[in-house]
Amino acid sequence: MKTVPPATAPTPSRHRPLWRRANIPAGAGAALWLAIVLIPLYILVSATLRTREDYLERGALALPTSPSVESYRRVLAGDFLTYLLNTVVVTAACAALVVVLAVTVAYSVVRTRNAASRRVFQLFLLGLAIPSQAVIIPVYLIITELNFYDTLAAVILPTAAFALPVGVLILVGTMRDIDEETYESMALDGAGPLRTLLNLTVPMSRAGIATVGVFSALQAWNGFLFPFLLTQSRDTRVLTLGLYDYVGEFRVDVPALLAAVVLSVVPIFAAYLLARRQLVNGLMGVGGR
Amino acid sequence: MPFDLHPRLRTPAATLAGAVLLAGTLAACGSGGPSRAQTLEVWTYQDASTHIQAEAVERFNENSDVQLELVEIPGANYQERMRTAMGTPNAPDIFFNWGSGSISDFVQQDMLVDLTDTLAETDELRDAFVPTVLAAAEIDGGVYGVPMRGVQPVILFHNTELFEQVGAEPPTTWEEMEELIELFQEEGVTPVALGGADAWTSLMWLEYLLDRIGGAEVWQQIESGDTEAWGDPAVVAGAQTALDLIEDGAFGSTFLSNAYTNDGVSTYFAQGRAAMHLMGSWEYGSQLANAEEFARERLGYGTFPVFTDGAGEASTIVGNPNNYWSVNSELEGERLDAALEFLKHTTDDTYLSALVANGDIPGTVGVDDRLDDHPDPEFARFQYDLITEASAFTQSWDQALPNRAATEMMNAVDDLFSGGLTAQEFADTLRGVS
Amino acid sequence: MAGRRRARDTGRPGVLWAVPGLLFFGLFAAAPMVLVAWLSFTSWDGLSAPTWTGVENWTRLRSDPAMHRALRLSLLLTLLSWAFQTPVALLLGVWSAGHQRSRAVLSALFFLPLLASSVALALVWRSILDPHFGLAADVARWLELGDANVLGSPRGALLAVAFVAAWQFIPFHALLYQGGARQIPRSLYDAASIDGAGTVRQFFAVTLPQLRNTVVTSSVLMVVGSLTYFETVLILTGGGPGSATTIVPYLMYETGFRAFDLGYASAVATSLVVVATGVSLLMVRLTGFGRMRSTREGM
Repeated sequence: MKTVPPATAPTPSRHRPLWRRANIPAGAGAALWLAIVLIPLYILVSATLRTREDYLERGALALPTSPSVESYRRVLAGDFLTYLLNTVVVTAACAALVVVLAVTVAYSVVRTRNAASRRVFQLFLLGLAIPSQAVIIPVYLIITELNFYDTLAAVILPTAAFALPVGVLILVGTMRDIDEETYESMALDGAGPLRTLLNLTVPMSRAGIATVGVFSALQAWNGFLFPFLLTQSRDTRVLTLGLYDYVGEFRVDVPALLAAVVLSVVPIFAAYLLARRQLVNGLMGVGGR
Repeated sequence: MPFDLHPRLRTPAATLAGAVLLAGTLAACGSGGPSRAQTLEVWTYQDASTHIQAEAVERFNENSDVQLELVEIPGANYQERMRTAMGTPNAPDIFFNWGSGSISDFVQQDMLVDLTDTLAETDELRDAFVPTVLAAAEIDGGVYGVPMRGVQPVILFHNTELFEQVGAEPPTTWEEMEELIELFQEEGVTPVALGGADAWTSLMWLEYLLDRIGGAEVWQQIESGDTEAWGDPAVVAGAQTALDLIEDGAFGSTFLSNAYTNDGVSTYFAQGRAAMHLMGSWEYGSQLANAEEFARERLGYGTFPVFTDGAGEASTIVGNPNNYWSVNSELEGERLDAALEFLKHTTDDTYLSALVANGDIPGTVGVDDRLDDHPDPEFARFQYDLITEASAFTQSWDQALPNRAATEMMNAVDDLFSGGLTAQEFADTLRGVS
Repeated sequence: MAGRRRARDTGRPGVLWAVPGLLFFGLFAAAPMVLVAWLSFTSWDGLSAPTWTGVENWTRLRSDPAMHRALRLSLLLTLLSWAFQTPVALLLGVWSAGHQRSRAVLSALFFLPLLASSVALALVWRSILDPHFGLAADVARWLELGDANVLGSPRGALLAVAFVAAWQFIPFHALLYQGGARQIPRSLYDAASIDGAGTVRQFFAVTLPQLRNTVVTSSVLMVVGSLTYFETVLILTGGGPGSATTIVPYLMYETGFRAFDLGYASAVATSLVVVATGVSLLMVRLTGFGRMRSTREGM
């Protein structure tokens, strides 16, 4: 089965525009959707530059006439940086775990052609369909039994486990495209499975691995349910849960609440600017869930 | 064969070991490590008053080998989080709660320390608390909590300026209430602010209505475990009265999308867009923090009106008798002693002064001479009289019932106020609540 | 025989390489599946050990009006999401597949909502929909619609959840369609042009049939995804007003972690697994895995 790996992009130049003439209804529709997307984003950003009183009196759409960064200062003066650090740890650990495990599983599935390895692959395919919410109760039980409740591990382990099927799926696709002949020449050199993996499979699957890493990192960064039910204290609070808790803390101080939202998105936004293609590929992995 | 298998095994085994190691390391860095044994975790609900508990913990730590660590849990779902944690080995050692239903499950599982003997140990402690306040922490003949914050009766607040404008007085009877609702609507003002997106604010109305119509005994019967008592005609009448209020536009048209927990309703009330607001006494403190001018100049308060043909009395109050510290029964030896010692400090002069200065009325006897230190002595006096002269103090239903029954009841309240249930269906639903 | 196998297998990893991943996945994802089914036959309050109660939870579930309502709402929300997201995502995706510079710039803006978490977006929309202090209040005033009771009316709240989810997920599906549209051979459009087909007819005669597989893939993901909106409901409506937005996952959360009736909540959760797995298996069968993957090619 010859398929194009999901992580490789077609070169746009090969295609010509779909339509030659300007398409006015389509343009109008796109402009409408643009407004629907941008107005909330405008409110999000402009509100954070206003004071609470100004926001309550002059409404959501008013321009920030005397911009102030007080809201951001208020958020940063709290525990925001602790939450950020926790989120970074969770994200990095998740991405590392998923990449290592998905690479070994996919390697075995692709290179071992027997019933057992097919079974393994089928199991992971089935895993794609499990909604993480549906198993939160037993996960709570298991995490409690392992004594991991209210630790970062309580968030990392299940988050990684639920990102693993997509990781395996993506990497199996990528690894299947590596030529059999390349493997054979490695085998002639007497390379064992580990050397083959490190010198051939991993370098050839770089794009897929990047996609899996980004995908699992995004899952961890934006995940809410596991931290919500499996952690409690400030020391283990991640950003998403912190945001949820800010509702109770900032109350009707909408600018401060929204400033926290903005700050939580900034790192991902920076990644979007720096590595748009990898990020979009990772996001597409999200759909595999 | 072993030679063949070995290299295949090596990497997977190493990976697994790595993953387990990583997990272990993470677990270690998540939970305070070995020092945990000598530290007691104290959980409290995080709000504007938390600094009082933080200071108490700090004072305690200065003179104790066993150190306390205060964990502040924000947000509306403290009860759920605390309950979730209690099922784990990471349960708190000392924790904030509402007594009664919020801890009755734990008492049944022997998870809490019976404090009866501790309270009896010293005279100061035994007689320190107002009996109706301590009552909410008494379960099955034991005492499982020590009052640690202010008494929080539910009060009918009003905007004095709006009342002056229409030339009216705060309502003392239900007829007056009905007239006011009509009057304010004609003036284009929402008669009553209600944060119906948080069902517990709607619940306050049902609590008072049931009390004023059927008397405090109806709830006492229900609370004692007799679910058939939900069938009392007063329950239906109270629910119907609430529906009539909605129908008459007493709460305005957006009350179901108003939330209290984000201060939306309080802000609306402070802006003079609603004339009355039924809320816990803490509303005063939050108005003082968010809209100081309104709190000082225009915020009036009074008791819930009576029904002339009702069985209830004007002196009965509804609300939270207090919040309590409870102690996890896993504690023993030195750690248990330290925990009990910490509880005794809730009747300290310093602690009580801090509560009063914060605007709270402590649940201890003999605080009347402290009331002048309250930020608003007049309001303090009003509350103090309300509490000490109360013929009955009905605890908020959602705190009085165990989690499961409370959740089902709150869903029914939510359904009633959003038009999903009639008054009769509401009562029928609650009779089925176990 | 052993020798021949050996020669062919040199450098090949065994299935044992999959063991760490399997164990990990097994412990935190597969075992919970089994465990949740077992718990659905118990009564468990989260404090003491679960006790076996046989089919009691399932009997109760079958006649529980709350569960019926939650299922109905979940299906309604799924249908709403699909009916709203598919046309918009399809049009946006096809439009952004064009290589004009303006389209590239605009697409980059369209995809911004994808970057934030459901929690962050739900918080933003909650502020916007606030009846007194949000944009909703201003809009209601300008259009003289009366009060902005969006989240307070049962229909409004459900529509709000569907809209916020659409706002969040349409970019993702648009990306799928963009990829699919770029795979369509140019020659098909040329042929249609020669036949005198205009833009609209080209869309229906060429684009739509060619995107059939993408439509199915995107629909599978949409359906399975919308069965599990949780954060949006939790933050935006809290399942209300009344139970107007209490969809199955929210009912499970409420039963499990508010009422701490964890055995019964497990029965609700098991139903969710069955429905989600059933739906995705059915739809994957309809599409086939190979074709599902081919839609990724355009990325």
